[in-house]
Amino acid sequence: MIKAESLSKHFEVHEREAGFLGSLGALFRRESSLVKAVDGLSFEIAAGEMVGLLGANGAGKTTTLKLLSGLLHPSGGVLSVAGFAPKRRQREFLSQIAFVMGQKEQLAWDLTAADSFLVNRAIYDIPADIYRQRLAELSDLLGLEGLLNRQVRKLSLGERMKCELAAALLHQPSVLFLDEPTLGLDVNTQRAIRAFIAAYNRRFGATVILTSHYMADVTALVERVIVIDDGQILFDGHLRNLAARLAPCKILRLQLLQPQSEESLRGFATLRSCDDLEVEFLVERDAVAQVTARLLEALPVADIAIEEVPIEEVIGELFQSGQAPMPVDEAVQA
Amino acid sequence: MTLGGGRGLRIAQALLVKGFAESTAYRAEIVLWMIAGAFPLFMMLIWMSLAESGPMGGFAAQDFAAYFLVVFFVHEMTQVWVLGQLDEQIRLGEMSSKLLRPLNPCWEHLADHLCALAVRLPLLLPFVALGLFLSGGWGEIEAGRVPLFLLSLVLAWVIFFSLQYCLGLLAFWTNQAAAFENLVYTLYLVLGGGVAPLALFPELLQRIIGYTPFPYIISLPVEILLMPPDGGAPLSGLMAQLLWAALFVALAGFLWRRGLKKYAAFGS
Repeated sequence: MIKAESLSKHFEVHEREAGFLGSLGALFRRESSLVKAVDGLSFEIAAGEMVGLLGANGAGKTTTLKLLSGLLHPSGGVLSVAGFAPKRRQREFLSQIAFVMGQKEQLAWDLTAADSFLVNRAIYDIPADIYRQRLAELSDLLGLEGLLNRQVRKLSLGERMKCELAAALLHQPSVLFLDEPTLGLDVNTQRAIRAFIAAYNRRFGATVILTSHYMADVTALVERVIVIDDGQILFDGHLRNLAARLAPCKILRLQLLQPQSEESLRGFATLRSCDDLEVEFLVERDAVAQVTARLLEALPVADIAIEEVPIEEVIGELFQSGQAPMPVDEAVQA
Repeated sequence: MTLGGGRGLRIAQALLVKGFAESTAYRAEIVLWMIAGAFPLFMMLIWMSLAESGPMGGFAAQDFAAYFLVVFFVHEMTQVWVLGQLDEQIRLGEMSSKLLRPLNPCWEHLADHLCALAVRLPLLLPFVALGLFLSGGWGEIEAGRVPLFLLSLVLAWVIFFSLQYCLGLLAFWTNQAAAFENLVYTLYLVLGGGVAPLALFPELLQRIIGYTPFPYIISLPVEILLMPPDGGAPLSGLMAQLLWAALFVALAGFLWRRGLKKYAAFGS
């Protein structure tokens, strides 16, 4: 469905010093530099697949989506989406895709969502009966009752996002690009949108590519992730393998009966955290059984659990080892 | 991207309905818009008082009244704001959501403008007619020339719209495109005869202005309606309008295709 070979996008950006003197200087002399937003990406995505694009801010995720949807012309490489070169923006291509951009509205601000839907119905040439059926279906899945006839500016962010999704999906695209679809939404709405995306993918076999800072989006929706850093692919594969590859350790969590000194605990394995009676160790995968046995023997243990390192931490680490300017908490705000 | 048959009609209808809903969403805005465009009426009062002591350059007081009332009408009917809209959409990345749809965004701009005109017309027509009647300018209008006047008004609108479209598309290359907005409006008003009839300009200046598109936006339709029949003048004027319109439409198409390659889709 999607095939990219050595895809790249370079921007020339002008730079200037901050402040008044900087502005004055920029009047006479402009310095520019080349930013390689996307730099030689190659990947293939099959029809019906759901893929997560992960990366720090500025890693090139959104630029990649814009290239895939034809908004940007690539600086180099070959790209084909549903058999089309996206940059040519043929009607047959545009009728098959949708791109939902977090906060960017396609709904007219001063009108009702229903008004904008009717424009889309005409633009995508959707017959009236099919339109009614799809609208009822989307309305049902997203819970749009009562929202469609209100002025868009008077809707809450979550309500508007649902209407945006419906507007983007009225023409039933077979390829769906989602850029931070749950940004700024409350947990319940996030969950509703996630469930909707999964349902849409199942029901229509649509190919879905999404970026998100919320790891919950990623873990709930996709199996395959492509991690981008500095415009290049750092990892492409199953989410589980990403964890296994990057997190050679597991977490051993103990509930103790009596507090122990940190020094004595350090003797068993790497101490991850120690909070009175609750202690966490990082233990290499093949040493888990051995260390567990030793701990149970030596310490007054009430309870024990063995867990995977949370995926958000794994990814946060990935960005650090990739030297991306990624604060770990950015990836952790799940 | 062409619009084939029934789909084109359905899109036109949907865009007009949407444009009309937007134009009427804020009723006070319609009246404010018209008051903001009253500049030619002030010029009318100034010139009328100047002409009280006797005709100026062949214009008597009631000639000025008729001239500026029709200028006011043409000025209102050629209000175009697509330059600023394009600049904003391109610079802030709002163009992205328009580009994702299989429809050139120019059609939506076109529909929005037409709807705003349609909403203003019912207020505008009685006002201008009443003004012409009261000032005695009514007699200056030759009914037989109304069809030619309407044709030249449409061409005038196309020239100004496509000129602004070209300038707005420059936002693909520079983030200063909006700077043209004031310049182009001033030229449109002054060189278009909105401050004084072009016939009162020095002859050399008139000749130079004739090589710019501006006299073909306001002045020409007004002349066609009011000026005494002058052989082939209306026809050559219409031909010039047609040329300018074709030039700017072609240029806009060229800039659009080039600009999309440069589009950076910022912010979205």
